[in-house]
Amino acid sequence: MPDGAERIDCLTAVRQLWDYLDEELDDARFAAVRHHLEVCQSCLPHRDFGRQFLEALQAVRHERPMPSEVRRRVMERLAAAGFRA
Amino acid sequence: MAEHGKSRREQDEEFAREALPWMEDVYRFALSLTRDPADAEDIVQETFLRAYRSWHTFQLGSDCRRWLFTICRNVFLRTRERERFEVELEDGDAEALAAVRVHQQMMQDGTDRILTRLDLGPALARALDELEEPFRSAVVLVDLEDQSYETAAQVLGVPIGTVRSRLFRGRRQLQERLMHFARDAGFSTARDSTGSSGTGGHGAARHA
Repeated sequence: MPDGAERIDCLTAVRQLWDYLDEELDDARFAAVRHHLEVCQSCLPHRDFGRQFLEALQAVRHERPMPSEVRRRVMERLAAAGFRA
Repeated sequence: MAEHGKSRREQDEEFAREALPWMEDVYRFALSLTRDPADAEDIVQETFLRAYRSWHTFQLGSDCRRWLFTICRNVFLRTRERERFEVELEDGDAEALAAVRVHQQMMQDGTDRILTRLDLGPALARALDELEEPFRSAVVLVDLEDQSYETAAQVLGVPIGTVRSRLFRGRRQLQERLMHFARDAGFSTARDSTGSSGTGGHGAARHA
């Protein structure tokens, strides 16, 4: 078992799966979930699916471009307030 | 608005360098809150005007994007006349489990394949627009804007546990919508109407 990671069961692992993918766990819990995923073929697909889902969600950023006139109008209001670029 | 020891010109240069590059990010966040481009623009304008006027309160070196998101959120709440989101639930673990159950359903009927087969951008953007507050802003801050739970909690003015549960519920609801979208797109391998005769099974995931 790598780095003496704590053994956890599937339920504990999937409860912390989002925290794991978001890298929000402390070192010990991160290692425990990672180790569980390395040895558990049932939970591994959930990790892969979660990761793919988050990547797809992150890509939604590109679906929402800001119209160029928004920037122009913001700059106009700032200029009226005294801003000099 | 000038800070002691700094000229107006220096202050403006700082503002241009630190704050203006985040305009697109603030617009996306505002759009996720309002779901209306015209309202989002009003909020972006007001956010940057307030940020400019209170620039002397910003600490250089701290997280300017987080500061702008917080202003944006406050501007939005004002426009909504103190709209309250009191549908709190604090059980992020239960939401995480629920998301796994959605994935199990998707594996069973084969709809989980959609993530690797289609450009889901437009469908996910639409699903995100349909997501209710307060779940939507948690998802946008963490998943689109890549903010930590802690930063999102500061922007939204709630405890980290609340961000976590809102985020996980939002993700689970998005996954459910994705599953329905996949079924509509013909990804389901389950038989029509019964929905119980999928051929995928638990071991059918192609990820492993």
